[in-house]
Amino acid sequence: MSREGTGKMLGAQVRRVEDPRVLLGKTQYVDDLILPDMLAVAFVRSPYAHAKITNIDVQAALAKPGVACVLTGQDVLERIKPLRVEFDTQKVPFHKSCNWHVLTPDKVRFVGDMVAAVVATDRYTAEDAADLVEVDYEPLEAVADMESALLADAPLVHEEWGDNVMERLEAQVGEVGQAFQEADCVVSERFVTGRHMASPMETRGCVAQFDVVTEVLTVWSSTQVPHTLRASLATLLDLAEHRIRVISPDVGGGFGLKAHPFPEEVVATYLAKTLRKPVKWIEDRREHLSASLQAKHQIVNAELALKSDGTVLGLKARFLSDAGGYSSYPWGSSFEPKHAAGTITGPYKIPAFGFETCTVATNKASIGVYRGVGIPVAALTMERLLDMGAQKLGLDPAEIRLRNMIPQDEHPYMTLLGVEIESGSHQASLQKALNILGYDDFRAEQQKARENGRHLGVGIGSYVEGTAHNSAVFDSFGVKIGGYEAATLRIDESGKVTVFVGTHSHGQGHHTVYAQLIADTLGVALEDVAVVQGDTQATPRGWGTWASRSAVTGGGAVTSAAQKLRDKMLRIAARLTEVPADDLELAQGAVQRKTGGVRLLSIPELAHRIIAQPTGLPPDEEPGLDASVAYEPPPITHSNATHVAAVEVDIETGQVQLLRYIVVEDCGTIINPTIVNGQIQGGVAQGIGSALYEHALYDDAGQFLTGTFMDYLIPTAADVPQVEIGHIETPSPYTLNGIKGMGEGGAIAPPAAIANAVADALSPFGVRVNEVPLTPERVLGMLDRAQTNAGAE
Amino acid sequence: MAKTQFTELQTIRVRVNGHEYEREVPVRRLLADFIRHDLGLTATHLGCEHGVCGACTIIMDGESVRSCLLFAVQADGAELQTLEGLADGDEMHPLQQAFWDNHALQCGFCTSGFLMSAVDLLNKNPQPSEEEIRHGLSGNLCRCTGYANIIKAVQAVAEQSQS
Repeated sequence: MSREGTGKMLGAQVRRVEDPRVLLGKTQYVDDLILPDMLAVAFVRSPYAHAKITNIDVQAALAKPGVACVLTGQDVLERIKPLRVEFDTQKVPFHKSCNWHVLTPDKVRFVGDMVAAVVATDRYTAEDAADLVEVDYEPLEAVADMESALLADAPLVHEEWGDNVMERLEAQVGEVGQAFQEADCVVSERFVTGRHMASPMETRGCVAQFDVVTEVLTVWSSTQVPHTLRASLATLLDLAEHRIRVISPDVGGGFGLKAHPFPEEVVATYLAKTLRKPVKWIEDRREHLSASLQAKHQIVNAELALKSDGTVLGLKARFLSDAGGYSSYPWGSSFEPKHAAGTITGPYKIPAFGFETCTVATNKASIGVYRGVGIPVAALTMERLLDMGAQKLGLDPAEIRLRNMIPQDEHPYMTLLGVEIESGSHQASLQKALNILGYDDFRAEQQKARENGRHLGVGIGSYVEGTAHNSAVFDSFGVKIGGYEAATLRIDESGKVTVFVGTHSHGQGHHTVYAQLIADTLGVALEDVAVVQGDTQATPRGWGTWASRSAVTGGGAVTSAAQKLRDKMLRIAARLTEVPADDLELAQGAVQRKTGGVRLLSIPELAHRIIAQPTGLPPDEEPGLDASVAYEPPPITHSNATHVAAVEVDIETGQVQLLRYIVVEDCGTIINPTIVNGQIQGGVAQGIGSALYEHALYDDAGQFLTGTFMDYLIPTAADVPQVEIGHIETPSPYTLNGIKGMGEGGAIAPPAAIANAVADALSPFGVRVNEVPLTPERVLGMLDRAQTNAGAE
Repeated sequence: MAKTQFTELQTIRVRVNGHEYEREVPVRRLLADFIRHDLGLTATHLGCEHGVCGACTIIMDGESVRSCLLFAVQADGAELQTLEGLADGDEMHPLQQAFWDNHALQCGFCTSGFLMSAVDLLNKNPQPSEEEIRHGLSGNLCRCTGYANIIKAVQAVAEQSQS
């Protein structure tokens, strides 16, 4: 790797430029910020899943030394608007909205629902005082199960709805009835996925400060979406948006969770403005697990119609999703099942598809977006059904997939839901993954192990990951979210580059990859590029980082802005050097002749001319080197991948051991393989959590049972194998540089691949593997049920 | 005993990264909060505040400890090391360098705790096997990396010290 930009940074295995300050402890996460006279806020949260508030007595709390103020829902009812998800009713006609009051004024809807806020000199005092707030509750019957929520006599979470259905959607595409009539084989199953949590290592938190001189409210928040948060604060607090500045400093992971504006941030901001003192809120882990947002909890009843040769004729699926107490802003808690339905056909050619999505409210924490949103559930369903079909038809699981996958030469392929999958390598990625495993050898080993009473299994999970959705796609979802991304690029008179972006890196390595893209375009060194993010006062309006969007959208904006300045620099250089612009390039820190590579002018010299001595420029050129670009990507950019899991199941303990885990990923042109591989390994770790360990549990009364990391189990170093990674690069024909997003992919297929592997391992027992997480207790239960059924036959 | 006992002040002396500090602290103040907010050493992070995630790991008198499970007064007279004391100025400790070289961090929030746990692990077992590294670091949670590169980084340092 040469120091100077050589036009070869795209694809280079570059170490991350952001790492040294992290390693040396020079980061600043939101809780590291200490301002003079700063107060701390602690929230009083409901211990009940469902109850009426009959009285709140704040006197004892207020009397405690150090307490500055106590707010209840009634205090702010007229002053702070509720978070309310509203869809375009033309596009989403069957959605019921609800008010999510920042402090609930009358009734609590889940354990952790916020009743009051207590502000004091420090967090210790605020938490002590929160315990002194006396809330009288009249407990109501709770509904904690999504199927029970649909019963006619179920308690109502939102009385004004008349039932608990938040949203229902139904559609049939193709001849579904005919497909099932003509099928040689139909397989069906009821799948249940866990209530998973993003659970980044840094919990949520913010600091808000009101400057009485400038009348600007500054909010430092651990958020993935600084501009969206600013717009929400302005709306909910009825403030002028340009008087709010949101800064997201170093953020300790998000995974989608922190792409939502939260009630706590609204309250803290309100308090800072009202009290004229900085207010800090730092969430503890119990609050995080019980009262942030949960994810991915669905029951899917699905049927697959097949011909005897394994060709899929049709698919029917009913997605029931447990939204919890409220609807999370801005996608709404009904997004999870809709995205599952919209992505379930994956890499397969499916001629007929009928589905229903139903989202119900229950007395639990609400559902939000978390890495993969809906696709992990969709992939589990589709991939299990294919294995079940293969088993029934006597086909190999790999063979049934190869027969149904979209062949490479049929791209661009229009799915029956009208989504264009622009390019892909579905069969090739599957073949490559099986080769890495040594599929035939594994089958032989499995056979031998079985003879020795050991139960090995292999499972496949293939998927397509739609990334970087554009504005038109969000409009079609009925949500008011932009899909474009913006960048402002400035070259200063010393020739150094600063790029201001609307995306937000919180682990993804944007500083490095954006610098790589800019280095290639402007011929500068990586270390000459500074990236500024996470400050609404400095950066252009962007949409933050989620949905695997930043490499495509942010990368597109950054590259376009750099191209704009490169072209301008070359036009001006042509004038100054009297060499035609066509024969000039920016490389190795200089303007060079393409022919012969003669250096004519260094970039600092040229930049200085254009900025500080702007005479002799072509007549239509402005002085200065600033460019702002908004880049609108193609509708959806699709990566694809196959995961293969090899497991051993201990039938005495129910323990599932991962022997090997293989991923072959195609995310188009790779900007930085180190970062891509890191995203895959990390995503798989989260997917392993979903597949084997993680479940936010409630009892029948809606009491929350998993409030610590001893109960909600995220995988440790002892649980996650080294993922064996292979790559195929099929560039997107539409994006700049052919880049495709890939941040979520690793987390999508582990539940599918691992469930298939467990089913394969236990195939001699005829178990139904239809639930994740596959905890030892569940695996033993599945074995018991299979034995009971076998005994009954 | 009266409840006010927990907010009573007590004077403690600690040596942190080679510097002596004498401070008056409420007896219930967590060691982690003392280090972060009273001493301003914010490289030590809090991920769970109940002793599971390991983000707050520091070295106390030669042993790795979770600073969220100790009160500051329990550290009276102790010698502490935090991430800020690991590098020699801007010269990275071999583990820091290996974490960089092996892409062993993403968001960086857990990194401080992993580094301090790895320091302790290698102090006690300079040539650990992969399994020993996995076991030794299993008390630290990372949500971003999937651990593989962290393990590689520790292996790289162990190999360097061998050669």
